[in-house]
Amino acid sequence: MLSFKIAARFLKSSPGQSALIMAGIAVGIATQIFVGSLITSLQADLIDSAVGSSAHITLLPGDGQTTVPGNLAAEASGSETLVSTAVPVRTLSGIFVDSDDSVPLSITGGDAGLLDTIYGLSERMTQGSFRLGEGEVVVGTVFSEKYGIEAGDELDVLLPSGSPATYEVSGVFDLGQATANERFAFVDAGSAADALGMDDDEYSAVQIQLTDVFASSEVAARLADEFDVEAADWQAENEQLLSGLAAQSGSSAMIQAFVLIAVALGIASTLAISAVQKTRQIGILKAIGMGDAAAGRIFLWQAALLGVGGTLGGIALGYALIALFGVVPVPFSIRPEPGFIALSAGIGITVALLSSVIPARSTSRLDPIEVIQNG
Amino acid sequence: MADLLVADALEKVYGEGDTATRALKGVSFTVAEGEFASIVGQSGSGKSTLLNLIGLLDTPSSGQVLFAGENTTALGRKGRSRVRNEGLGFVFQFHYLLPEFTVWENLTMPAQIAGRTLSADERSRALETLALLGLEGLEKKNANQLSGGQKQRVAIGRALMNRPKLILADEPTGNLDTKNTATVYELFRTINAELGTTFLIVTHDRAVAQQTDRILEVRDGELVQDVRNDYAG
Repeated sequence: MLSFKIAARFLKSSPGQSALIMAGIAVGIATQIFVGSLITSLQADLIDSAVGSSAHITLLPGDGQTTVPGNLAAEASGSETLVSTAVPVRTLSGIFVDSDDSVPLSITGGDAGLLDTIYGLSERMTQGSFRLGEGEVVVGTVFSEKYGIEAGDELDVLLPSGSPATYEVSGVFDLGQATANERFAFVDAGSAADALGMDDDEYSAVQIQLTDVFASSEVAARLADEFDVEAADWQAENEQLLSGLAAQSGSSAMIQAFVLIAVALGIASTLAISAVQKTRQIGILKAIGMGDAAAGRIFLWQAALLGVGGTLGGIALGYALIALFGVVPVPFSIRPEPGFIALSAGIGITVALLSSVIPARSTSRLDPIEVIQNG
Repeated sequence: MADLLVADALEKVYGEGDTATRALKGVSFTVAEGEFASIVGQSGSGKSTLLNLIGLLDTPSSGQVLFAGENTTALGRKGRSRVRNEGLGFVFQFHYLLPEFTVWENLTMPAQIAGRTLSADERSRALETLALLGLEGLEKKNANQLSGGQKQRVAIGRALMNRPKLILADEPTGNLDTKNTATVYELFRTINAELGTTFLIVTHDRAVAQQTDRILEVRDGELVQDVRNDYAG
């Protein structure tokens, strides 16, 4: 541990220099933590807005079929561990007609409790309550405001068969998306079966949510193959959003990489200067018997101390920046991920250690005679 | 007494081809255990080069150095470091203390380099060495806070700490005034007499050499004289 002791003493003997380089590492790590957390949270928010309250995969009847069986949801759920919920639904298009307008509505019929697991409707009601008794319907906020339909009102809809149906509006929801809030409506499974002329065991589709939204393509392909059905997944339908997110991740990674390179160059140059400043001491230590490896370790330890100190400071500064961001009025909050912060800390310390390789090697190669001869 | 050091046909050539300089031209001699000897010579005569080869700080172009029966020329860097730490003590013209460390830490650095925790014996020896060097009470002082004479005495103490068989001193009093010079040589003599430590002192000053028991003279890279000095001590 003599190398560690000497490293600590060398750093202590130049407090200004040591503090400056630690500050440099701290700023680099803080930037990495802040930018990384910002982008991750922003993307999580965007993904949540896009697919948080909709199906990640929709299983549709296969070739030559018009319906899917009622037990498909349970079977799909049993065959894939990533499936968090699978809901059999009956979907139909209706047209709402009032005195001035005729508006298409995408009506989803199903069990209220199961629909809630996908759409979270019970927590998204702005009027009335999420209740789907026989002949009851819930509609979105935009539809409600645009056409003056409120909880308790009656809603007349023209069904695909051409026959009219009247539902009682039990509540108004806000799914966070204007299109959904204007076009979507939910009814009970029985009413939808009646409207579509389906038997009790016949459904239009099975809507599925996954624990990992980005696994949707693979899971959809497997389910389609296993159950001989069509499977549509959100990723295939949101390519633009995904390419935007990928570009954002790429630019974030580049920013973080350049920050780390700047940190590495800072540490490497400081350690190189320190190695030159301490050549005399290293020469003396070698003259009185210190081995090459132990001499080289002095700079590894210096880098480790600077790296750990700077990284801890960087984590504190990163949290402070995130807290500061909390007071800015933006529609999402940054959630620092412990895993990402641990990764940043690991990268910070590793970069510091790698930066010490050149000074450590030059120190281990130093011949004491160079110092003794030159005085 | 047994030979502690054998310098056998030591040559040192700097540079190559037409610009090659032969700093040492086949120097051979032996030093017995407990000797108090000096190497004298003008500046540029090759005496310091000789000391650096004997002290394993440098490697000879040809020839070999045997220390305590071991052919050190065959050793690698690691082996030479071990011999420097365990068998040799260095005192240079400049003290070469570590300014970041205290007197005590500088004094015990060779033991720390050897990876040893100081035993009770070594602690008392270190305290005795401080007393012998007139440095009592300065253990906790930073090396930078000492006077030139005190620093050189700490450097001597450091050279003694591992109880080396041979102390190599290169112009050890070159930066000291007359009073401190006398003190340092008295110390060397005391250590030589009390501990039986062998001394090889390089100097350009004949008056200093006259205080040693044996004088080896180097001129133009060759050993031109090797005489007993019965008037010393």
